[in-house]
Amino acid sequence: MESQKIKLGIPKGSLQEYTLKVFKSAGFDIDVPERGYFLKIDDPEIECFLLRPQEIPKYVEKGKLDLGISGDDWIFESKAKVIEVCDLKYAKQKIKEVRWVLAVPQDSKIKSIKNLKGKIISTEAINLVKDYLKKNKVKARVEFSWGTTEVKPPRFADAIVDVTETGASLRAHNLKILDTVFLSSTKLITNKAAWQDEWKREKIKDISLLLQGAVRGEEVVNLMMHIPGEKLNKILKILPKLKVPTIRKLASENWYDVTIGCEAKSVRELIPKLKRMGCQGIVEFPVSKIVS
Amino acid sequence: MSKENELKFGFPIGAWQKDSLELFGAAGYDINFDENFQKIEIDDPEIACVLIRPVAMVSFIEKGFLDAGISTEASVLEAQAKIVQICNLEFLKPVPSKTKIVIAVPKDSAIKSIKDLDGKKIVTRVPNIARRFLEKNMVPAEIIYSDALNEPLAGVVADAIIEFSRTGNYLKAYNLRIIETIFESSVILIANEKVLKNKWKKEKIESLGYLLKGARLAQEYAGLMLHASNEMMEVVLKVLPSLKKPTVTHLRGENWFDVLTVADKKEIRNIIPKLKKIGCTDIVEFPLNKVVL
Repeated sequence: MESQKIKLGIPKGSLQEYTLKVFKSAGFDIDVPERGYFLKIDDPEIECFLLRPQEIPKYVEKGKLDLGISGDDWIFESKAKVIEVCDLKYAKQKIKEVRWVLAVPQDSKIKSIKNLKGKIISTEAINLVKDYLKKNKVKARVEFSWGTTEVKPPRFADAIVDVTETGASLRAHNLKILDTVFLSSTKLITNKAAWQDEWKREKIKDISLLLQGAVRGEEVVNLMMHIPGEKLNKILKILPKLKVPTIRKLASENWYDVTIGCEAKSVRELIPKLKRMGCQGIVEFPVSKIVS
Repeated sequence: MSKENELKFGFPIGAWQKDSLELFGAAGYDINFDENFQKIEIDDPEIACVLIRPVAMVSFIEKGFLDAGISTEASVLEAQAKIVQICNLEFLKPVPSKTKIVIAVPKDSAIKSIKDLDGKKIVTRVPNIARRFLEKNMVPAEIIYSDALNEPLAGVVADAIIEFSRTGNYLKAYNLRIIETIFESSVILIANEKVLKNKWKKEKIESLGYLLKGARLAQEYAGLMLHASNEMMEVVLKVLPSLKKPTVTHLRGENWFDVLTVADKKEIRNIIPKLKKIGCTDIVEFPLNKVVL
């Protein structure tokens, strides 16, 4: 049988670092050469390409790629017909979702969406904005921007629709946010042909399982502690029920070793509480993957 | 100015700023420092953060302007303030050399010991500490305060400096020699005395202490897992550090045990070869996020 390969598109730019990190915790090492778009991955069944996230959905749709990672925004913008395998929402990243906002100059007369009528909106995501205007029944001119969209108002545009994280860049350019246009998260996508190929589907499902496990692993930690016998029941009651705790009696003592999994975020409340209730030797350690 | 359930917390400007923010991150907080606006954002609405010089912070905390903060032992001594130390965070991360306050003079100076400082000019960042140290040693000298880079001043405008030194690189760069180490200064979590009478604030500060110290210890420790047979157990338990009671579990249907513990990474590098010689198998070391003993 000839060796089959999954052709995978990795997004270049803002999603790149996060994507490589998730693949690494999922067990795949990917090497990024300084130039070029051929990536080296330590799985002979995968061929890896570094591409702009704007282009990945189209290439997946056309079958140039079997599998890709991109955002909802670019999937929508390119109107590509793709199959969403899974969502890769990433907890540790400060921004779980990419936010596209409508912004205008601080002193603009545009106070609401309705005021956009007949105005010029500059954006990198034309279809996203056209759809937004249509939903709000407002007619305006949407102009494509090649980048640095935030510098365009007021001379080159009346308003912009752009991605924002903290809003700092918008503020620095004297712009204020009027509305959220689109919330986008990261998706693993494939096409019909790949999905109907049994070998490819199984391989894609395996990759998806590991990636999701890695994403989930970021959100979860293990907590190990020693609990005195007389307090065991009381403390077990307050422990989170993410999974069944492992309870072991310490040899020749009335102490128990209890190991649990819990949400990383809950630990800063939980550890001081457990300490006050009399637990000793509380140890938190990271989880690489959680597959339930 | 005071809100019911809000802790007013100070972060140290300067040498300890970056590492204290990172330790908060390791303790479980998403904490962001906006360089442009010098603003700290933390994902806990119960903590209001400000950045402040460590010495000023000690006075702020003593007078109750702030509830708690991260400062240093030297700052407490310098400010001569009455505050409560919650925990010692050493140097916020594993470091090969400690931060000390030293008296340094140019390499070719005739000053060989403290006694030789009699009547000399000394520039220092910590004038109160310097003055008290010299008084205690009954050496009268002229002390001038300066909080910029003081090393270049030695031998030019001053006969000696009393300054912080960690790696000694600055002293070397300016051809200085240490004649005396006054003391070692750790980074500490401190709180206002009266604030600790408020139950909510006390718990909040204590919890921060557990988490910060826990994250700090986890940098030095690692988890250790191994299999040992019944005959090896006595020796194995002797080799393992007694910091935390090891968890010993009987492996199903065998004469072997699974042993789980945590240990100092520096000890582990000696322990693992020993365990291997005893005959232990499946020795696994794993990283930790927090250790609260």
